[in-house]
Amino acid sequence: MRSRGYPLQYILGDQPFGDLEILCRRGVLIPRPETESYTYQAAKLLRQMALERKGTSNSPDQARPLRVIDLCTGTGCISLLLHALLAPHFQQLEITGVDISPTALGLAQENLEHNLQLGQLASRAGTDIRFHRADVLGYDSDSSVPSIESILQTKFPNFGTLDALPPDQESGCDLLISNPPYISQREFRNGTTARSVRRFEPKLALVPPYSGSGMEDCMPEDIFYHRILTLAFKLKAKLTVLECGDSHQANRVVALHKRLASAESGQFSADVWPIREQDLADNGFHVTDGSRGVIIQTLR
Amino acid sequence: MFSHLHKWTSSRTLAAPARLFSQTPIVPAKPLPPRLKINDADISISYLKGTGPGGQKINKTNSAVQIIHKPSGVVIKCQATRSQSQNAKIARSLLADRVEAQLNGDNSRVAIKAAAARKKKASKMKKTRRKYRELGEGGKEGEVDVEEEDEVEIIWDEDVKEEKGESKEAESEIGSEAKSAGESGKGV
Repeated sequence: MRSRGYPLQYILGDQPFGDLEILCRRGVLIPRPETESYTYQAAKLLRQMALERKGTSNSPDQARPLRVIDLCTGTGCISLLLHALLAPHFQQLEITGVDISPTALGLAQENLEHNLQLGQLASRAGTDIRFHRADVLGYDSDSSVPSIESILQTKFPNFGTLDALPPDQESGCDLLISNPPYISQREFRNGTTARSVRRFEPKLALVPPYSGSGMEDCMPEDIFYHRILTLAFKLKAKLTVLECGDSHQANRVVALHKRLASAESGQFSADVWPIREQDLADNGFHVTDGSRGVIIQTLR
Repeated sequence: MFSHLHKWTSSRTLAAPARLFSQTPIVPAKPLPPRLKINDADISISYLKGTGPGGQKINKTNSAVQIIHKPSGVVIKCQATRSQSQNAKIARSLLADRVEAQLNGDNSRVAIKAAAARKKKASKMKKTRRKYRELGEGGKEGEVDVEEEDEVEIIWDEDVKEEKGESKEAESEIGSEAKSAGESGKGV
């Protein structure tokens, strides 16, 4: 089986992710080590931000839970690892994992229970983490899958009307994190994508669907970023973390954010991470090629 | 605690001389020197990536971890498990052992453990030799008393860390296995 490129993780049934053990099954993307790296980084930044907030104001938002949204969650690995990392530092957490695939959501829920059983997650994870089925792109308005907006509306009562409100501490989300499908049709075919991945991992999780029209201002493989960045503005996300296929795509996402941000009030910093050679090596990223993260912080 | 005391006194008064159990702990012959604490500032950890890019396009997991101890220049590489964080933990303890061995020489934990293991093995060999020698001489009893004890030093280690040696072995084994698996995946 291995000789035909069948992924080891599907044979063994799991993959370590941080201290967690993530169950893997055919039909759901296997977690990658780079994803693990920037999830750690995101948790680190959230803790820094919380410390700074505590320093400036006398913590009026102590009672408010830290809100995290993980789009295209797959196995749920990011949501679960974030809970494991943040639970010791935040009394209240609300982590929402979203995916379009029922197979993925089933596995994500299983992973939650599996790691609870292993003792890698605090028992409150069972209520802090919720997985929902939703279509992030929302192309097929007639389909049975609920749109991402309808899910977010239940989580953020004033979602949509938020535009009128100042970016305060009360509403909005703290972290919007996503590892969306980002491989172009071309790179899926031309050998850039490994055969093992192409043949055995779900295309749904790798290649964004062909949009046809409606998103003229970005490349077809970047449509998820366009959508997620728009959502990030609507949610007043304090921190947005996105995985990209390579540094070119990451730079495109930074540029796209700049374009979209010009219509918004507020100041942002958008950077490719990691960018320094030392950081790349320390965090297990390939120096010249390979995936990159984009980290966007709302400054004001 | 009080009930204990009560029981004890009552049993003493009621029953004829209570039997005393001696509870002297087995005193270790030689305690091991303490584990060395490695300062975080002194080490640099790097995650060795295989060749080629990562991300969704590739599923090549390389969990190998390399730690360099700057003051001594000791380099430890570990890929005993599939988990990077676990490998880092193992590598840290291996590094602590190695650095401690450099510092203390023959008095280091590793050296003492190795010496004890050698002694134990030698004693075992000696017993075996004696057994077969006696058998060869045509001892009528068939069973030869091998219970005779050679003093083997007991080494006292607070936390059971016998796996340590094994994990070191596993490191090379699993490492090569994972490597070959990775290569076969690449070859296709």
